[in-house]
Amino acid sequence: MTSERIPPTRFALWRQYGREMSVGVFLVLLVGYFGTTPGFLRADNLRDILINAAPLVIAACGMTMVIIAGMIDISAGSALAVCAVVAGVTSKSGASLPTVILLPMLTGAVIGAVNGWLVAGVRIPAIIVTLGMMSVLRGGVIWWTRGEWIGNLPPSFSAIGRGEVAGIPTPVLVAIGIVVATALLLARTPLGRHIYAVGGNPLAAARMGIPVRRVLWLVFVMHGALLGLSALVYASRFSVIQSNAGAGFELLAISAVVVGGVNIFGGQGTVWGSAIGGLLLQVISTGLIFRRVSEYWAPSVQGALVLLAVVADALRTRRARR
Amino acid sequence: MRKAFQILLILAGAVLLLVACGKKQTPPASTGTTSTGAKLVVAVMPKLKGIDYFNAVERGAKEAAQELGNIDLTYDGPTEGKVDQQIPFIESWTLQKVDVIAVACNDPDAISPALKRAREKGVHVITYDADANPEKSGREFFVNQATFEDIGRALVDEMAAQAGEDAKVAIVSSSPTAPNQNAWIAVMKRYMAEKYPKMQIVTIQYPEEDQGRAFSMTQDILKTYPDVKGVFGISSVAFPGAADAVRQAGKSGKVAVVGLSTPKSMKGFVKDGTVKTVILWNPVDLGYLTVYVAKAVAEGTLKPGATEFEAGRLGKVKVEGDQVLLGPPMKFTAENIDQYDF
Amino acid sequence: MKRIIARREAVLVVLLLAEMAAMQSLSPLFLTPDNLIEVVRQSAEIGLIALAMTLVIITAGIDLSVGSIVGLSVMTMGMLWEDARLPLALAVPFALVAGALLGGFNGTLITAVGIPPLIVTLATMAGFRGIALGMSQARSIRNFPEGFLWLGQGYVAGIPVQVWILAVTAVLFHLGLTRTAWGRSVFSIGANEAAARLSGVPVNRVKMQVYMLSGFMSALAAVIYAAHVSVAKPDAGLGFELTAITAVVLGGTAVSGGEGGVLGTLIALLMVGFLRSGLTLARVPSEAQDMMVGLLLIIVVAIDRWSRRAGRE
Repeated sequence: MTSERIPPTRFALWRQYGREMSVGVFLVLLVGYFGTTPGFLRADNLRDILINAAPLVIAACGMTMVIIAGMIDISAGSALAVCAVVAGVTSKSGASLPTVILLPMLTGAVIGAVNGWLVAGVRIPAIIVTLGMMSVLRGGVIWWTRGEWIGNLPPSFSAIGRGEVAGIPTPVLVAIGIVVATALLLARTPLGRHIYAVGGNPLAAARMGIPVRRVLWLVFVMHGALLGLSALVYASRFSVIQSNAGAGFELLAISAVVVGGVNIFGGQGTVWGSAIGGLLLQVISTGLIFRRVSEYWAPSVQGALVLLAVVADALRTRRARR
Repeated sequence: MRKAFQILLILAGAVLLLVACGKKQTPPASTGTTSTGAKLVVAVMPKLKGIDYFNAVERGAKEAAQELGNIDLTYDGPTEGKVDQQIPFIESWTLQKVDVIAVACNDPDAISPALKRAREKGVHVITYDADANPEKSGREFFVNQATFEDIGRALVDEMAAQAGEDAKVAIVSSSPTAPNQNAWIAVMKRYMAEKYPKMQIVTIQYPEEDQGRAFSMTQDILKTYPDVKGVFGISSVAFPGAADAVRQAGKSGKVAVVGLSTPKSMKGFVKDGTVKTVILWNPVDLGYLTVYVAKAVAEGTLKPGATEFEAGRLGKVKVEGDQVLLGPPMKFTAENIDQYDF
Repeated sequence: MKRIIARREAVLVVLLLAEMAAMQSLSPLFLTPDNLIEVVRQSAEIGLIALAMTLVIITAGIDLSVGSIVGLSVMTMGMLWEDARLPLALAVPFALVAGALLGGFNGTLITAVGIPPLIVTLATMAGFRGIALGMSQARSIRNFPEGFLWLGQGYVAGIPVQVWILAVTAVLFHLGLTRTAWGRSVFSIGANEAAARLSGVPVNRVKMQVYMLSGFMSALAAVIYAAHVSVAKPDAGLGFELTAITAVVLGGTAVSGGEGGVLGTLIALLMVGFLRSGLTLARVPSEAQDMMVGLLLIIVVAIDRWSRRAGRE
């Protein structure tokens, strides 16, 4: 979705949301396929899939903004580990619930602020900044925790990840809330329009008077805060917080966003697609176990499905361009 | 001219930063001299840093070093369980001519050439937890916590006792290429076929060292195979993940969870009945014993042909050939789990 | 233009020397020939990959799948040797071709279908690794003959074999990049792809070749790695892509494409290797080393940016 409003024509909705709809259809087809195995379509399984996908979806919202703005973040997994440890430590120290929620998000925001400063202020390409930060954060977590895991978490902590509000699991509610909030931010606010503009054509955006560097920095800060939230939701489901959590998480988040149709060159895409993408990855993971696919072949099937989604989309956009 | 000067200034700053960072971490430099009177330099390497199990090993090693008094202990290793990241440490220690290298190998063959070179340069080499290739590496002793046979059998016996001899079970491991786990699985399959032929393994899943994946994989197993009666969690990461999944699915007590991990991670599960027994050995003792063996090998008091070895507070342990055995696996239950803090 | 590059490489060499001095001050064992040779040897496999990665990044692309190509080609070689009983003299070239073909798969998706390199190689990173795991059923292959192991563990004139291989390939790459029309076309694609296409450069073909080369070099690195550690495992090469990219970027090749060089990559490779070696000798724990490598990357690139901006004023 670009920032201009497209005049209503036939198939306008398809043209505007074509990518997201294709991914949605893909998701439905996959669910149908896996649904032929008994038990997959049961309420408890679908519920579990949603809960397990929630942290990824939350992180994917932040990553969506980053990629739309023309950047990337491969340190997300390491940042997740840092924020998860912060969450655990804060909770164990007996802090109040709002503090336990805010501190990881604040930590994530600070990490994002540093990344953002290096990218926007010092003008180092995002891939390099986050490549370096990945090592710094990963080493930092182990150094800080001395490798120890955090156990014996107070029950109030688990309530966040395992609780419910009106029958809907808390993680799912949070994820839905974040997706809606991000979508609104991107579609309805000046900041959102700026993000698209900066990602699409930074020079033109600057000429239009948009504070490009401040926008980039803000995107990283917001993304960082969302990572912190994701870490909280992720960690509060388990009884132990590992210091090596989140390995490979950034690649999952990027895959979710890419499969969801966000253009890697920036300037296009919506968060709805990323949310579907995140859900898709979890559906694949669970479905492969249900289908009793050999555990040795499961990872390649996952990789192949991502590739398929990406190729299908590329072909679709090529045909549209002609 | 000015910019060149600016660059040089920044460079100098960067160098100073690096040196400053380095100096802060450096303990008194090792002299690298050999034994007899002076301190023995012992380098202990885990498979990877950052998991509970090896943190406990580190504690035991430090305890032994302190008790013995004349040990200069270095404990370091990669932050990922990759053997090619272990090799640079071996080579560095060889160069520093430490007295003994004690390593838990991520792969028995890959690490052997580096260990052999260390032997050739006069460094003593022992292994613990996971062995190297004895001939190719020239390692002198292997401190084994318990044999693969003992561990595999203990796991299966425990499962039979809890879930029944005809139970359908699932195994949640770590990485499909992990040597220890694969050895245990091989023993478990064989033992099951011999002693409990009606026990059936419905699936084996590999969540790598990711707790979240261990959790969701176990969840999925419980749903895919609703008649599963027991889950094996055979890594210190898989076990708590699997137990979490069983507990959150409301199946505590209905589905047995048996596995290997530290009592610290599993305490909550043992207390609420999700897990009845945690099988392990004492990793603190393993680290402790390793340092004692290291000292004995360096000083020549432990030689091939010995049948037992005296190790401080552990008393006498058995030596079989070139393996020093810590002892049979330990079982942690609700009764004794509070006594341990690792 | 050339002056800027030459100056940047000079800066890198100065940094390298400064770093070596710093490492030496931390531990007198650092500057011994034994140590230096071993460090270079340990970097050799990644170095081979980084050489090709330099070209990929110069075209403004990226290849995240190199580590997985290492895993898949090493298992191809191993399984051909062990299961199909092919002599290694045949299995090795077969694996090299396989690597090139895998790179070609990447290249096809990038050029013919038009998917951005980051996305293609992100997906093939997972896909290739998965195939390696699936077809090998996670087993490892061992007991290679001594002659093969010599490739990764042997010495010629006191210098490890793989270092010779790295040195020769590096020279070839450097000459190919700087002295041939093909090399110039690689640069022009990265600088401005549309302009390159308009001026007659066969952009798609060159890109395809670059990615195939990347796959080939990954397979070569895989063979040497297997000889070095005497095992072929499907998880070989995990994480190699990030170290290779770090070396390329640290060495001055711009992610936006159009500039860079093999020399810078090699110097950067040594910088990272020497840093780790020196820190290990100084007993700095490995997690602190990780942090310093990350900081090194950021600081050096930051300095480079600042100096370029200062230069423009």
